[in-house]
Amino acid sequence: MLKKILFSLAAGAVEAGRASSSDAQSSPIKTNVLRPPGAVKEDLFAAKCIRCGRCVEACPYNSIKMLDIRAGFFAGTPVIYPQDIPCYLCMKCVEVCPTGTLQKVKQSEVRMGLAVIDHTLCITWKLQALCRTCYNVCPYKETAIKLDQLRPVVVEDKCVGCGLCVHGCPLPTKAIRIEPIYSF
Amino acid sequence: MKHYNRFRFITLLLAFLLILIIPFLHRYFDFQFIQGWYQSLGIGKFWFVSPLEGLESILVSRQIYVPVLIGMLPAVLIALFLGRVFCAWICPISFLSELIDRVICRKKKKRELLRLPRQVFWFALLGELVLTMIIGAPLFVFLSPPGLVGREMMLAVMFHTLALEGVVIVVVLLLHLLSNRFFCRYLCPLGALLAFIGARRRLKVELQAGEEQKCLHCGLCARSCPLGLDPEKGETASMYCWNCGACIDACPQDVLKFRFSDQ
Repeated sequence: MLKKILFSLAAGAVEAGRASSSDAQSSPIKTNVLRPPGAVKEDLFAAKCIRCGRCVEACPYNSIKMLDIRAGFFAGTPVIYPQDIPCYLCMKCVEVCPTGTLQKVKQSEVRMGLAVIDHTLCITWKLQALCRTCYNVCPYKETAIKLDQLRPVVVEDKCVGCGLCVHGCPLPTKAIRIEPIYSF
Repeated sequence: MKHYNRFRFITLLLAFLLILIIPFLHRYFDFQFIQGWYQSLGIGKFWFVSPLEGLESILVSRQIYVPVLIGMLPAVLIALFLGRVFCAWICPISFLSELIDRVICRKKKKRELLRLPRQVFWFALLGELVLTMIIGAPLFVFLSPPGLVGREMMLAVMFHTLALEGVVIVVVLLLHLLSNRFFCRYLCPLGALLAFIGARRRLKVELQAGEEQKCLHCGLCARSCPLGLDPEKGETASMYCWNCGACIDACPQDVLKFRFSDQ
């Protein structure tokens, strides 16, 4: 009897897990929502991270926020919203991560995402003005972002995805965004 | 020498203040030397990792990261020698429960409205680990309240918000009002893991050898036990006892004592 109850409970739990998996288990990482630098692959992140929040505490710019239960199984994991506060690549969060979820990488080898310029929004690309804020604020200018006839162009294999350009873009609808990279 | 209750409360208070002060130090003084709370507490270059969190991280990700193991070692060693002392002497939920006891329920009434078989404790741990591996994401995020308390305090200080899962803390404390330490007794996975590690612990509360005659069988020790154990029957030697010392304080004849066995 007890066995039966336990078994049905377990089966129910599996079913519930499957049913909610599409919703609760889909990663919160999307455009302009990033993991801190050095993060492991996204499908491993929720498993490895112990939600100790030390990266959130350690971040001197308060860039790193903590997800809550609305993110399902990703509750407690750290994210960065570069539109609010981008990552300044100080790498303090990597130093304090106790589980290796944020791995020690060189600053230039961080890949939090990839900056993408929307040519239909960017006023420089639309030839309306000569703005190059994204170029100016980039920590790897001339490496990760270059000017092509005064228009900004992202160098895809050099961009670290810190989001400083997103933060800097003066347009009300940002003409540059960070797209997630799911595997390295 | 009856001071364990006061001594324990002071320890709990200090442990609680520590994780309350750390976020303030970070937010307003940019003091980075200590971080975190009882999921992972970092002091300088060294960090502690809670065994449950570390174990689930290893189980789910199927990767072994040596610093996690090193961080888990002190907690495991303490549990191995002293048993579940973390629960009774450090855990912030313990602090909040004892605070409730001291402020609201000052009458020493035994609250036992809801009782379960003790073995539920192990099923809770096993169920949690199995479910965690089925789902593929750790469940302690919601089910390990000591970590939740720290997270809520950090969020409150750093971002002036609270996370929704803090409801779990409220539920745990309400259950405590219903039945003394209900969650700690039957459901806490971290407590169960520490109890399991400390199954053959050295430090135990025992009737002093040769003084069994002095015992009046008054039952005060059993009444005082937050876990509902009966020291007179030797239940303090079981895996469930967390060495809080409340029974030692309660004993009018001083028959009960902590004993650290050599082997």
